[in-house]
Amino acid sequence: MKTRFLFPYWCKYLGIVCFVVHIPVVLFQKQLGFDFSEASKAAGFWGSYHLFYMVTTLLMLTGLVLFAFSKEKIEDEQIAQLRMDSLQWAVYLSYILLIISLALTTNKTDAKDIMHLNVWVPLVIFIVLFRWKMFRNSRYTKEDAI
Amino acid sequence: MKNNIRVERAIKNITQAELAELIGVSRQTINTIESNRYVPSTILALKIARVFGKPLEEVFILEEGD
Repeated sequence: MKTRFLFPYWCKYLGIVCFVVHIPVVLFQKQLGFDFSEASKAAGFWGSYHLFYMVTTLLMLTGLVLFAFSKEKIEDEQIAQLRMDSLQWAVYLSYILLIISLALTTNKTDAKDIMHLNVWVPLVIFIVLFRWKMFRNSRYTKEDAI
Repeated sequence: MKNNIRVERAIKNITQAELAELIGVSRQTINTIESNRYVPSTILALKIARVFGKPLEEVFILEEGD
């Protein structure tokens, strides 16, 4: 059984690079000269505000998607099944979290922040679950080594 | 479903890693099949049986309740 629609193995490293690169941009936004004034928000596509959004949120998301959905070194049907299981659980967990947190929120700004968080939370839960299952699998194999 | 992969490997004198390489899967997959934690697809089961040169039913055996 071939797994379709996955990025090549090297995209995993590209994903890590994208994710890591966005961190210093967020930390040193002021030093890098990004400006968050109303004028820059109104400047549109090439304004500093939008450029900052492009190099942080989009770079982070691209990194997470590439890391989450790239092939393993040896791809087979069992790994595909682990991936599907993890994806299903990630969607369940993230929606349970979303429903509970929205139910407990009375403030509109908080609700907006929760929706922003939900841009990357399902992906992160998926990555953690899938990596954990892969790690557990290889640990069993090592324990069972003949 | 149980299987005789471990026994067949011993007869053929090959390791999990060698069997995995012969059929193009990861070593972890062979390990999970051997320890009954994963049920392979028909294609994979047929490939394993072909490596041992035996009919499928001699390598994979249905159990009561399957």
